Amino acid sequence: MTSVDEPRASLSVRPAGHAVVRAGRGSSFLVHRRALAVAVVLAVLLAAAVVVSLCVGEAFVPPAEVVRVLLGLPSPDELVVGTLRLPRLVTGLLVGAAFGLSGALIQTMARNALASPDVIGVTHGAGAATVAAMTFGLTSYAVLPYVSVVGGLLAALLVYLLAWRGGLSASRFVLVGIGISVALGSLTRLLVTKGDYLVAQQAKVWLTGSLNGRGYDQAAPLATVLLLLVPFLLWAARAQRSAAFDEDTATALGIRLGRVRLGLSVLGVVLASAATGAAGPVDFVALLAPQIARRLTRTPQTPLVCSALTGALIVVVADVLARKLLSPLELPVGVFTALVGAPCLMWLIVRTRGNRSGGTA
Amino acid sequence: MSGVVGHRVGRLAAALLLLSLAVLLSLAVGSRTIPPSAVWDALAHGGTTDDAQVVRSLRVPRTVIGVLVGIALAVADTVLQGITRNPIAEPGILGISQGASLGVVCAIAFLHVHTLTGYVWYAFAGAGVAAVCIYTVASGGRGGASPVKLALAGAAMNAFLASVVSAILTTNARALDEFRFWDVGSISGRDATVAGQVWPFLLAGLLLVLAMARGLDALALGDDIARGLGRNVALLRATGALGATVLTGAAVAAAGPIAFVGLAVPHIARALVGPGHRLLLPMAALLGPVMVLLADVLGRIVVRPSEVPVAVMTALAGVPFLIVLVRRKAVAAA
Repeated sequence: MTSVDEPRASLSVRPAGHAVVRAGRGSSFLVHRRALAVAVVLAVLLAAAVVVSLCVGEAFVPPAEVVRVLLGLPSPDELVVGTLRLPRLVTGLLVGAAFGLSGALIQTMARNALASPDVIGVTHGAGAATVAAMTFGLTSYAVLPYVSVVGGLLAALLVYLLAWRGGLSASRFVLVGIGISVALGSLTRLLVTKGDYLVAQQAKVWLTGSLNGRGYDQAAPLATVLLLLVPFLLWAARAQRSAAFDEDTATALGIRLGRVRLGLSVLGVVLASAATGAAGPVDFVALLAPQIARRLTRTPQTPLVCSALTGALIVVVADVLARKLLSPLELPVGVFTALVGAPCLMWLIVRTRGNRSGGTA
Repeated sequence: MSGVVGHRVGRLAAALLLLSLAVLLSLAVGSRTIPPSAVWDALAHGGTTDDAQVVRSLRVPRTVIGVLVGIALAVADTVLQGITRNPIAEPGILGISQGASLGVVCAIAFLHVHTLTGYVWYAFAGAGVAAVCIYTVASGGRGGASPVKLALAGAAMNAFLASVVSAILTTNARALDEFRFWDVGSISGRDATVAGQVWPFLLAGLLLVLAMARGLDALALGDDIARGLGRNVALLRATGALGATVLTGAAVAAAGPIAFVGLAVPHIARALVGPGHRLLLPMAALLGPVMVLLADVLGRIVVRPSEVPVAVMTALAGVPFLIVLVRRKAVAAA
């Protein structure tokens, strides 16, 4: 992004509350002003959370030292902050951002706040595939994330095929997703029973959705996936506008809604599976982040950047709380996000209007 | 007319036969396969051979508990589907079983209750609270308690309760040790005393259901018509919900959370004997144990020599059923 400048009024027709950002020659895009402000605020909050997360732990490190370590200056706390806490934090940030983005894309695609990757079986698919790989002797952290991406995609495909009946109804999609999630959860337990003791231990730790002991080994594949997806995300940012139309309007406008939806959902599924591969199923982040972000920005579409920032913020804050609330014991971060996220889902269910044509639940 | 009824009674008899076959399988099959003649011998004459010991001290309690749990879950679910008029109302999906789990965990961790008769009450309380919460959430907002809202509220409730349970267990090592054995949803490793302790609750639950069973047919016609037929709809619902909660709580207290038994059985029973609850309830009570026992036997075979908990097998068997139901228009459109 280069600069936010006022467009020449005579040349542009822009919606209220937007500014035009020009990125180099010949390319420019609209930016929602409020969304930009929210993104800045979220980024500041996230930076604060990052510093707090690096400060607290078994030994408290003063913020000044943390900042010194982050800036690469010599510091006595380099070992604790730089080697022990930073890798975990980086994983948390990436996982949160990936889940946030994934939730935003899939909710946009389904036009339903309740269709998050947790609900439609993606995270469970990724989980089952990873545990299966572990059971059959594949324990390298370099390969497992890709296995979980494949698992997530397969689970999503299965849900899609089973829910397809001459058309895709959102409620059928969600119900089939819940069923497949339960089945995959059972399959995972079956595999854990089948595997030997050591594998079972490793699988159980992974399945709790914990950031404990996660580091660059897990963060690196996720970061690779995120980087590879950047061009596609830029496409999605534009495409999600058209996904908001209903079938008839889209057809009338000449938008290939099927392709747009397919693209958005594949992107969302890959992101969620990759994040699951890195940290295990961290529940409800993908559901909550886009909802919070959208309420903050008040945009008609789910804002992608803000969703990613919110997701990262949720995971980092939840991890700090999970570490400190019952210290010296540590809760898995997934437990904590589920404790907060599930009541929010129920609130969404109560709030959702029973509108039939839109396909909302 | 009498021909149809006779036909259906015949099917009930066939189900009874199937049940005895399942019981026999459950007694004979396992990591040590015992021929049916030896099983019969051990039951009738006792004896001190290894086979007789295995049958009498391990397999009989397990089978009895399987039968009790199967009856409880299948009847509870038939009633739940009746009073909510909702084809996918099921204790596992709705999180009622998980609520019972939470009750048990709290009893073990905070109140130091260690006997089944002690914590079964907490299982009831947990199941009841969870049931009320879910129904409130799902029927809130516009559109009432549609299947999708019920399932979603249940999924959310399940996730929430499961994380509370794991939070408690992470912080309480002793509770974890005791609970871990119970949590998996298995009917193995329980001795005969569990069956002895659970049957009074089962009976109480069945009596409650019997008291309101005639009203279920009226409820199926809709609240207004049921009222017009002179039924007290609120009382019927309350009695049915209480009966279902007691049955689910008792089953969960005996075997841990077992999901999806309840989902498939009432639908199969309905296909066999029609929607009238006079035959439907007995049919469900016969088919429930068949499903639990067969799932348990299968769980003993698939990963020999170790065992798969019965809850895992019932879930794997039940999910295809859920999907078939959902693909039918009736559920998704509601």
